[in-house]
Amino acid sequence: MKCKRCKETAVVSLPSHHTGFCAECFLLFFTRQVERGIKERKLFTHDDRILVALSGGKDSLSLMLELSRLGYDVTGLHIDLAIPGSSPAARGVVERFCEKHGLNLIVKEMGAEGLAIPDVKARLNRPVCSACGKIKRYFFNKTALDENFTVLATGHNLDDEIARLFSNTLRWDVAYLSDQGPDLAADGGFARKVKPLWRLSEFETANYAFLMGIEHHYAPCPYSGGASFTFYKKLWTDLEEEMPGRKLDFYQGFLERGRPVFARADNEDGVDLSGCTRCGYPTSNEVCGVCRIRDALRDKPVGAEGTDGADNTERTE
Amino acid sequence: MEHTPEATPGERRTFAPRTITVRLQPKEQLLTMPREKTVLQVLRKLGIRPTTAIVVRDGGLLTPDREVLPDDELLIRIVTSSG
Repeated sequence: MKCKRCKETAVVSLPSHHTGFCAECFLLFFTRQVERGIKERKLFTHDDRILVALSGGKDSLSLMLELSRLGYDVTGLHIDLAIPGSSPAARGVVERFCEKHGLNLIVKEMGAEGLAIPDVKARLNRPVCSACGKIKRYFFNKTALDENFTVLATGHNLDDEIARLFSNTLRWDVAYLSDQGPDLAADGGFARKVKPLWRLSEFETANYAFLMGIEHHYAPCPYSGGASFTFYKKLWTDLEEEMPGRKLDFYQGFLERGRPVFARADNEDGVDLSGCTRCGYPTSNEVCGVCRIRDALRDKPVGAEGTDGADNTERTE
Repeated sequence: MEHTPEATPGERRTFAPRTITVRLQPKEQLLTMPREKTVLQVLRKLGIRPTTAIVVRDGGLLTPDREVLPDDELLIRIVTSSG
């Protein structure tokens, strides 16, 4: 296979785009996709202070490096989940990455916050993924607001977004469908949130990370074995192989023609949020999900009836 | 072409198996398997979709159409994240 642009031997084949690229031209393609994603949805400008959530995986580190290369004002935020084996490895990767590239980094330790994920897991009756996501989003938002960042960026890629959209659609969850997308405005105690990699697949980001020599944490989370999004990604991989380009078409179609309809419906019937009476975080209840998880960890012994801190009206991103 | 020394008349010629070595990540499995002609065939043999893994040989990325040679050592890294 030859590079579409320069006719050298291709190193990345992209069936979704009916093309292939050599290393140099692929990196140019990647940069252009990121820039296009930012400009199409007006995600941010060079005047913004951007907080980038860094898990240690290929997507978030690739996003951080590319935004830095494009001259944006970026600072990394890593949430140390205190999972034995997994968390120290992920944190080490993030710290080495930021040091290597001279990038600012903030680390929040869940152990110090009384929210170590193994402890949360031990007290839940359900898989821990939902509560873990809730805790991470809470600290992303809190750090962005406390530290006066104007935008919070995450490394969610097209596959992540498609899996989430598929899940939300299967449940016809109007509230989640009303604001899913690469751009979420600052609103009622929520920081502005963006996903600049929304045009790029997980495969494309993995190739970028490899070609840029990004050391990343690729061991799966020891607690994520049954995550439904993994199954949805497999379904969409099969569909994409049969119908290349369908993922991006489906997602863009939703943003242009689906989301506005759900947003109107949610404006009419949606639940109003107010500040948590303990911490001020937006919630549909008197006490937010994270404060309720804290209560459960403090009050209930392991094995007692648990909580999931369920709060279905919080924003998911 | 690897094969045993010249066979004598009436003796059956036997061929040494042609194999490749595959390091599978993130499971960190090391596999020795019969050589397939292309990267795509290797991926198919392992039940891996081409757009869910990167394939590396000698530090360089390979597209699915690239030829696989006897004794090749491939790194195949599944890139689909969980969660």
